[in-house]
Amino acid sequence: MRHDEIEILYVEDDPSDVELTMAAMRRSKMANTIYIARDGAEALDFLFCRGPHAAREYVSPKFVLLDLKLPKIGGIDVLRAIRNDPRTELVPVIVLTSSNEQRDIIETYKLRVNSYVQKPVDFEKFQQIVQQLGLYWLIVNQSPGTTTSQTGLASSASTGR
Amino acid sequence: MANRNSELIEANRELESFSYSVSHDLRAPLRHLGGFSKLLHDEYNDLLDDTAQHYVQIIQNDAKNMGELVDGLLNMGRIGRQQLGCKPVDLNLLLEGVLRDLESESAQRHIEWQIGKLPVVECDSSLMKQVFTNLLANSVKYTRNCNHAVIEVGQFTSDGRVVIFVRDNGAGFEQQYAHKLFGMFQRLHRADEFEGTGVGLATVHRIIQKHGGRIWAEGEVDKGATFFFDLTTSEELHEKARPIGMGASQ
Repeated sequence: MRHDEIEILYVEDDPSDVELTMAAMRRSKMANTIYIARDGAEALDFLFCRGPHAAREYVSPKFVLLDLKLPKIGGIDVLRAIRNDPRTELVPVIVLTSSNEQRDIIETYKLRVNSYVQKPVDFEKFQQIVQQLGLYWLIVNQSPGTTTSQTGLASSASTGR
Repeated sequence: MANRNSELIEANRELESFSYSVSHDLRAPLRHLGGFSKLLHDEYNDLLDDTAQHYVQIIQNDAKNMGELVDGLLNMGRIGRQQLGCKPVDLNLLLEGVLRDLESESAQRHIEWQIGKLPVVECDSSLMKQVFTNLLANSVKYTRNCNHAVIEVGQFTSDGRVVIFVRDNGAGFEQQYAHKLFGMFQRLHRADEFEGTGVGLATVHRIIQKHGGRIWAEGEVDKGATFFFDLTTSEELHEKARPIGMGASQ
């Protein structure tokens, strides 16, 4: 996988969650290149091409899927760092988390999160949400800086939802 | 007094961080249980014999149940901490919204609704909506084996206080266990008769209590159930609201 072609940066520390999300994407026929960062520090290293990713040439992902409870650097601080850097300040960030605590929602909205989604317990609902997010943020939505589009869902028309 | 107050604040903070952890950390393993068992069911069903499929189904159902329990508990915690936002609320208008929300469950059923004229009361409308949603959803659920379900909402005045009631002609309950109805996780019906978590009425109880009101129930097996609650006047409520505020009201 070439890291300069990453379409989705997915920041999630829990391997079971990663596996479930990947299953949901597979079942939604999403065939996008994804980089999975296992903590907040790795996510920022990847985004800003530093540390182990120093050789990467900066290309903005189409969106960042961000968990909040992360080791080392928490999701809210990751979001803050993204918004504070001119290269990434406009990248769509979608928080995908277990909690629906008001203070998290308010805090991330203050940091101009683009969407806040609670992971439902029910897998079928979760899969629908993953599919909707992919469809919306890769195909429907226009965002600044991503001029090469239309590579979104591999066969979104045939999934029948 | 100041000491007591700081203890309350501390207890409240602990409760808050507890429920924060619950919402983050307890839900994650539940999602995984539900998710992977769903994947097993959908993608590996051919490899499983009937017993194995049955077990997978049990895991899925239980994960779903526990998800509802956790959400119910969190909601209870939130209600406890929340400040009441009381204003005059037209209960008939509120009820219209609740009935619309319940339509997905009640539309396929033949239910005779008897909605009386209800008063305007001073209350927190979003919490009061939860009260009616829980009570009416219960009535819809427990009348589902009735040929002719009747659900009635009305009011009367007793000792100068307004009493609201929700009555149905459903499965009812044994009056001797009525006091258990409002306990957390307490159920008077087996899960294979009527599904449920035992959180709904406990939540209703908490909300009414928080409004300074009382709630009680009357029932008879296979004849139906009636839930009553009264609400204090706005002056009484202001009196009571002062020392609570922090939420740890029990």
